[in-house]
Amino acid sequence: MELFILAFFTLGYLVLGGADIGVGMLLPYLGRSSEERREVIAAIAPFFLGNEVWLVAAAGVLAGLFPSAEGGLLAGNYAMIVALLVSWVARDMGLWLRGRLPGARWRLGCDAVTVAGSWGLALSWGVLLGHVLLGIEGPLGLLPALAVTALFGTHGLSFAALRLRGGLRRRAAVLSGGSGEVRTYALTASALVAVGLLAGLRLSPVPGTAAATLAPVVLALIPLLVGSQAWVWWTFRHRVTGPSYL
Amino acid sequence: MLGGMETVDLARLQFALTAGAHFLFVTLTLGLATLVAVVQTRATFSRNPVHLRMTRFWGQLYVINYAMGIVTGLVMEFQLGLSWSGLTEYAGDVFGASLAIETLVAFFLESTFLGLWIFGWDRLNRWAHLALIWVVTLTAYASAFWILVANGFLQNPVGFTESGGALHLADLGALVANPPARVAFWHVLGAALVTGGFFMAGVSAFHLRRRTPEQDLFRKSLRVGVGVALPALLFTAASGGMGFETMQLPKIAAWAGDADRLAEAQAQLAAVHGPGDHLPPVEVVRGAGLAMILLFVLMLAVAAASFLLMVIRPAVRGFRLWHWCLTLMIPVPFAAVLAGWIFREMGRQPWAVYGRLTTAEAMSPVTSGQMALSLTAFTGVFAVLIGVNYWLLARAARRGPEGAALGADRPADVPVPVPAF
Repeated sequence: MELFILAFFTLGYLVLGGADIGVGMLLPYLGRSSEERREVIAAIAPFFLGNEVWLVAAAGVLAGLFPSAEGGLLAGNYAMIVALLVSWVARDMGLWLRGRLPGARWRLGCDAVTVAGSWGLALSWGVLLGHVLLGIEGPLGLLPALAVTALFGTHGLSFAALRLRGGLRRRAAVLSGGSGEVRTYALTASALVAVGLLAGLRLSPVPGTAAATLAPVVLALIPLLVGSQAWVWWTFRHRVTGPSYL
Repeated sequence: MLGGMETVDLARLQFALTAGAHFLFVTLTLGLATLVAVVQTRATFSRNPVHLRMTRFWGQLYVINYAMGIVTGLVMEFQLGLSWSGLTEYAGDVFGASLAIETLVAFFLESTFLGLWIFGWDRLNRWAHLALIWVVTLTAYASAFWILVANGFLQNPVGFTESGGALHLADLGALVANPPARVAFWHVLGAALVTGGFFMAGVSAFHLRRRTPEQDLFRKSLRVGVGVALPALLFTAASGGMGFETMQLPKIAAWAGDADRLAEAQAQLAAVHGPGDHLPPVEVVRGAGLAMILLFVLMLAVAAASFLLMVIRPAVRGFRLWHWCLTLMIPVPFAAVLAGWIFREMGRQPWAVYGRLTTAEAMSPVTSGQMALSLTAFTGVFAVLIGVNYWLLARAARRGPEGAALGADRPADVPVPVPAF
């Protein structure tokens, strides 16, 4: 049950937050002008706040249900976690700050920070998952890292294809060919879930003693949490029709 | 600069800078969320355009501030496992539970619903939109509550059993009812409303002094800000006074500067833990406590005078010296909040879990090189972001409601939206 809870939030993050990472990585490809990029960002804007908290929740679950594994996983991968956090902060700030000033150079700079942060996130996840999954460190660890990074990028494209319109949508659908946007998204999402599941199986952390009290509380909360997110998904189910607040 | 410091000092500095930065932003978040919710409630009932513009303007400032609270908060959450795995291994089975609940019932819901509030501005039924800001506010309170349950446990460990060299959760109810947690929650909540109140009053006073457009909006806002700040100050002081009754002996003794009680505290702890210095840095604790109380007196004087002045219409319109004073007061609650935090946390030293685990024992087995690198990275990034965000916050505050992008109509050069169905 404890492992199910941890997997639920981690895999939820990889699928939902992974799309934001991928769209951020490919922002220069998807949007060629500042206005186009703003519309591409609108594809993820209403979701990214609600998506990134899946990872916050996973970290909270790790702290509460698997405290002995938490230290090993985070402190044991110190540099990668620091890189992941700095990239995460940079990506978020690039998105948040973009619309705060009118200048073209400001927006270009913010977009550059968003793109760099998204690549940093994908690569740190890649190195981390490669390390956990295959136990590879050093230069060779870059191979699985690049594979995971490519997967994030593809997943971002498949999500963007579901959300954008017109020329932007065609650009995003470059890899899906004739197989349909929903099926492509299902495929990239499944691939991310598979990578996450394999890493989780390799790791198989042991629950702590608070789990007996805490796990039922978390299980009872899950419908509420999913319900709140479902409201967001339902509200923004249509394709992007123009720029958003960001 | 970092060369002469021990790894544990670097780790403490890193956590303190992250937590301090986080605290600066979330205090305003917590206070401003409440005020925005109140203003939006009035706007929803009255449909008065001034109230609607008030909601958008203060909401915009709230959102700018909120973003920094998030990014510092998530770094802080990961830092527990990153730099303090000794703490999570020893006590994670107890206080990890409150962190887990915080991320789920507070952080998760707060962010989800805030996204809906921001981006769903014109898409949702106005009552649903109003409900959202209240849920965001209440989940922000819940976040403060559960974080202070975790902190209260570190101050005064309760609700656990010890076996196998680690603590285990025995009584979640005792953890929640822990007096240092509950009292601190009310104290922080009050301080947040003080911060939000002074912020709203100070920004409004700036516009009244400059005679910018929207005088009516800022007169109303000034009254809301002052009207909240004064009672919140009294409430904060009352809960703070109760807090003194829940403090550890060394902290009280350091605060009083009482050599006898300091010796007594040292003797008590030495009897259990053997020889060594078991006391907090007395001067820092005293200085921080004193600063907090002096700033409280200053705020009380200004808030009480403002409370009287705000019922005099000509004063609200044109008493420029008072307007100046209110604007200059904006940073004061932040300083008081930081002083109170230093008082509480430095007063707990040298313990991570009071009387059980020292801060040095709480460290992760990381090298000083790793720690220096992450400290440099986080400090560099946060220094830039804090500078940029405060500048943008001040810029948005100065520009007034005209510049608020939140809930604004789409720009004219953008094609009219076509429904997808």
